[in-house]
Amino acid sequence: MSKNLKLKSSRAAKDMSQKDLADATGVTRQTINAIEKGDYNPSIKLCVSICKVLGKTLDQLFWEEDEDE
Amino acid sequence: MSRTNLDEMQVQKRNMVGNQAFMLLFYLLLIDIGLSGFGFRWLQYPMNVFVIMLGCMTYYLTRIIWNNSYVGPRPKNRNENIGRRIALGIGGAAFVAGTVAYLNMDSLKKPISTGDNSAMILFVFSIVLFIVLGIVSLLTKWQARNDE
Repeated sequence: MSKNLKLKSSRAAKDMSQKDLADATGVTRQTINAIEKGDYNPSIKLCVSICKVLGKTLDQLFWEEDEDE
Repeated sequence: MSRTNLDEMQVQKRNMVGNQAFMLLFYLLLIDIGLSGFGFRWLQYPMNVFVIMLGCMTYYLTRIIWNNSYVGPRPKNRNENIGRRIALGIGGAAFVAGTVAYLNMDSLKKPISTGDNSAMILFVFSIVLFIVLGIVSLLTKWQARNDE
């Protein structure tokens, strides 16, 4: 699984640390870190929670374009 | 989302480690039974079963702490040291009780086959508890350093 740079940049744009985002979504900092590194596939519930905190849509944060498109 | 429970990634990792620890326990007990069948006894019953269970429990605890799946997201104002102090207190009490019981044990001078292994079990348990507590403290400090 590739790194989720969109999530990382969106979080940075909101000037939030991983800990801030984790507190806002009710998970641990390690979980946010694992999602950003692509080590963990979050549930749709957590995805929606992250999107609401960052003010983005699911597409904007979690959709991955195929390389051959 | 609850603030006191584990989050979804922690639950997944804890379940994975739990399954591994259970299978490890199963196979070790199976091997122990097999060895007994061949006439090889590495420890008297029930110490053999106890040591295997203790080993698997230590493996389980160490792995879930290593994977940060032991404590969930915490409320901000909670004092994190209370749990550690209580655990240390219980560990200390168990260690003292185990040591006293072990030193006063009459069966020390007799073969261990007297059947009363309770003091020995308490002694071993307290030592292992201290080792586990030490590992927990080290891992907690290591993770806190990584968080900074």
